[in-house]
Amino acid sequence: MEYAIELKGITKSFGPVAANKNINLSLAKGEILALLGENGSGKTTLMNMLSGIYMPDSGSIFIDGKKVSINSPEDSGKLGIGMVHQHFKLVERFTALENIRIGMRDEGRFMHGADVRKKIEDTAEKFGFDIDLDKVVSNMAVSEKQTLEILKVLCYGAKIIILDEPTAVLTVQEIDRLFDVLRKMREEGHSIIIITHKLNEVMAISDRVAVLRHGEYIDTVVTKETNEKALTELMVGRKIELNIDRPVMEKTHPLLEIRDLTVKNDEGVIAVDHINFYIRGGEMLGVAGIAGSGQKELCEAIAGLRKIEDGQMIHEGESIVGMSPKKILEHGISMSFIPEDRLGMGLAPSLSITDNMILKNYNESKGIFVDRKTASEEAQKVIDRLEVVTPSTETPVRRLSGGNVQKVLLGREIKSGPNVLITAYPVRGLDINSSYTIYNILNEQKEKGVGILFVGEDLDVMLALCDKIMVICHGKLQGVVNSNHTTKEELGLMMTGTINIVNKDGKTDGIAKDSAFTDEEGNA
Amino acid sequence: MRKYHLVRRADSKIGRTIIFYAVGILVSLLIGAVILMALGINPFDYYGKMFTIGLVGNRYGYKSIEGFLKIFVPLLITSLALGLSFKMRFWNIGGEGEFLIGAITASVIAFNSSGIPNFVTVLLMCLAAMISSGIIGIAIAALKVKFNTNETLMTLMINYIMLYVIRYIGETKADWNFFLREDSERPKFGTFPDSAVMTGIPLGQFKLLWSVIIAIVLTVIVYIYLKYTKQGYEISVVGDSSATAKYAGMSVGKIVLRTMFISSAMIGLAAALTVSASGTISDTVTNNVGWTGIIVAWLSKLSVPAIFVTSILISILQYGCQAAATQYPAIDSNYADLLQGLILFSVLVADFAANFKIVKKEDAKNA
Ligand SMILES: Nc1ncnc2c1ncn2[C@@H]1O[C@H](COP(=O)(O)OP(=O)(O)OP(=O)(O)O)[C@@H](O)[C@H]1O
Ligand SMILES: [Mg+2]
Repeated sequence: MEYAIELKGITKSFGPVAANKNINLSLAKGEILALLGENGSGKTTLMNMLSGIYMPDSGSIFIDGKKVSINSPEDSGKLGIGMVHQHFKLVERFTALENIRIGMRDEGRFMHGADVRKKIEDTAEKFGFDIDLDKVVSNMAVSEKQTLEILKVLCYGAKIIILDEPTAVLTVQEIDRLFDVLRKMREEGHSIIIITHKLNEVMAISDRVAVLRHGEYIDTVVTKETNEKALTELMVGRKIELNIDRPVMEKTHPLLEIRDLTVKNDEGVIAVDHINFYIRGGEMLGVAGIAGSGQKELCEAIAGLRKIEDGQMIHEGESIVGMSPKKILEHGISMSFIPEDRLGMGLAPSLSITDNMILKNYNESKGIFVDRKTASEEAQKVIDRLEVVTPSTETPVRRLSGGNVQKVLLGREIKSGPNVLITAYPVRGLDINSSYTIYNILNEQKEKGVGILFVGEDLDVMLALCDKIMVICHGKLQGVVNSNHTTKEELGLMMTGTINIVNKDGKTDGIAKDSAFTDEEGNA
Repeated sequence: MRKYHLVRRADSKIGRTIIFYAVGILVSLLIGAVILMALGINPFDYYGKMFTIGLVGNRYGYKSIEGFLKIFVPLLITSLALGLSFKMRFWNIGGEGEFLIGAITASVIAFNSSGIPNFVTVLLMCLAAMISSGIIGIAIAALKVKFNTNETLMTLMINYIMLYVIRYIGETKADWNFFLREDSERPKFGTFPDSAVMTGIPLGQFKLLWSVIIAIVLTVIVYIYLKYTKQGYEISVVGDSSATAKYAGMSVGKIVLRTMFISSAMIGLAAALTVSASGTISDTVTNNVGWTGIIVAWLSKLSVPAIFVTSILISILQYGCQAAATQYPAIDSNYADLLQGLILFSVLVADFAANFKIVKKEDAKNA
């Protein structure tokens, strides 16, 4: 076989952490190789050495059979390697065209030359991209930014494309479209490495799968000759059961009731439109909807981070409208939102895990000093509990791998012992094993009588995990269904607004029979 | 096409940093030596005097220490104060202006203090300076919090405004102007009455001024404040990600206001201590600490112990340059400034070189 890339004995350490140990990996010409491994197994680090961000401590890289040394992203680009990073690298104020243009060399001095546009348009058409070149990046949705990143590396003439978790923030439809593009690229003779934690995607798109475990190279297998279970075992190193439980709990009174909630987004457009719902203790309510249907605004409104336009929010009989985020937290409502950039909200990246643990309750200890002793014990507990891969509790969160960052965040939210837990996309970018750890933790919380709002993406998971699922479309409630009595298809139709079952059989979804509202207004 | 380009080093090793610093300083000293030789001065002699800040073979050696401390105290406190706001990513480059405000208010009290006990006067001077500088700091922070103005521009402008205010005071002969000497025809700043001049603990001939003790105690307090207190913790969180701080329920605006008050008030305190120790005010009273302090804070990577050490080194450099220059008729204080600039510049370059490296482009293709 002819290889586009061959890695031999690559080793890379960050101080005491050996991120890659003696890795051998090969990418054949014109193939799609999936790179699989648990969080912190060294996938991103390895790829960063191909894109010139890090340099290996030892080992050699061969491109098209020739030994090379890659000292900078520029070198990497010249060798025909293009990487789309886990975190986008775009100039927010520039248009798509300008973002591509600034990286193009040898194209004359003018930013907007006609030939430049032509060249970009041709590339876009060749691979079937649907993109508005004059749109400013800050107005783009995540999937558009992603498309732009890929188009960018193609325009620079990359023959080897590396995609680091491109699907983590995309919807199912967008993923399909992305895969079409990737297949087209393969037809054109490009070689592709894709990192993803979702095994169904690995099975769908790749020709071969390379597996890393704890920084070591395990094996490369042909996709057709393997299955999801075998891959999981390769990745984790032992047999594991992959079942999502749904313990059935005795449901208590409605803990959190939302009535007629209306919230605007940052642009002043209505994002949440007169939504009603409630969460009982010991119940997990899923929120399904196409990305950007108002999930973020809903979570922020409940957590007190966003002003509401209209409506009521009652927590255990007391209105929380207009309360400060701190007050709401003290009431026992905890919110963890994993944003698309994963780090943006909820963590201070340069601070240690310990310091991040106490972010929300550092003020509770007595006196003027921060209680770091308790904090580092708690940090250690979270690390043990969620199997966070880190050298110590004092490591800055920024140094952790993407998935481990998230475990820290969720661990903190649960530790505060809330009675309503709002969690959005908690497994975004997590490996399978960790995802199941998270599901188990959420179930444990539920068994303790906590009411959980689970904003998710994967319908299969939500059907298995949540007791009820509420569906929103463009900020409007489409109905609340019992997971036992619905199907993925029905949910899909509701998500796109095709069916609306809010007022079915004379009863209104989202309003509890034993609502605390009844006492005051008598209109439950 | 460029053949070389810069790459940030992935790791930072303390050993390498020290070597780079040493080389940088050596190079600047060599350049200085060439100039000295051209002027007919033996560079070894000169540097010897400079690095011992004129202590060796000097009957009045204690004077050198006092002189050094007069430079050291304001620089240390100002650097700490700037470090505090930088840690919050608030780019306070108005140290000069804040210092001058403190110096002026402290002087207002000083010039009108005859008869009041020394301890009370100095205390009042410190308080007045801290409050006046602090208020300006809060005002700028409030503009930033309320209207999202650019604090860099605002603090920068304060420097110029205050510089011209003090020049105006220093050059305007008028009945109201108690800052100036009455017995001089030309406008000239007066000296404080004894009640406003800093005292200290006499150790033989040497007098250890209270300001030195205050500065050292303050260093310890700031260290503890940043590292162990809740307010210090809030500063790090706001500096790292203000979105996160808000999410955690912190009131970011309040924290910014409070920290800027503390930062500016500390600079005001430095000013009060300085004018009180020197017994007068002038338009060069800041000795550029507002600027040098920025360099100190950054060279120290905002770490308090490092700020302490760096302040000592830079003060030795400053005072040593001046002390040595006074002993040679062929050179004046301009040479001292030049040499100081050379050394600081080379240290900055060394710091840069310790963090970045130059890579040749062709390496990628034919390695
Ligand atoms: N700049 C760095 N400094 C120190 N340690 C690092 C750095 N980058 C990565 N690491 C460590 O190296 C290990 C591998 O990290 P890497 O980001 O490559 O994992 P990953 O396989 O991409 O994980 P994920 O799926 O969570 O993104 C982790 O333990 C991480 O903490
Ligand atoms: Mg990664």
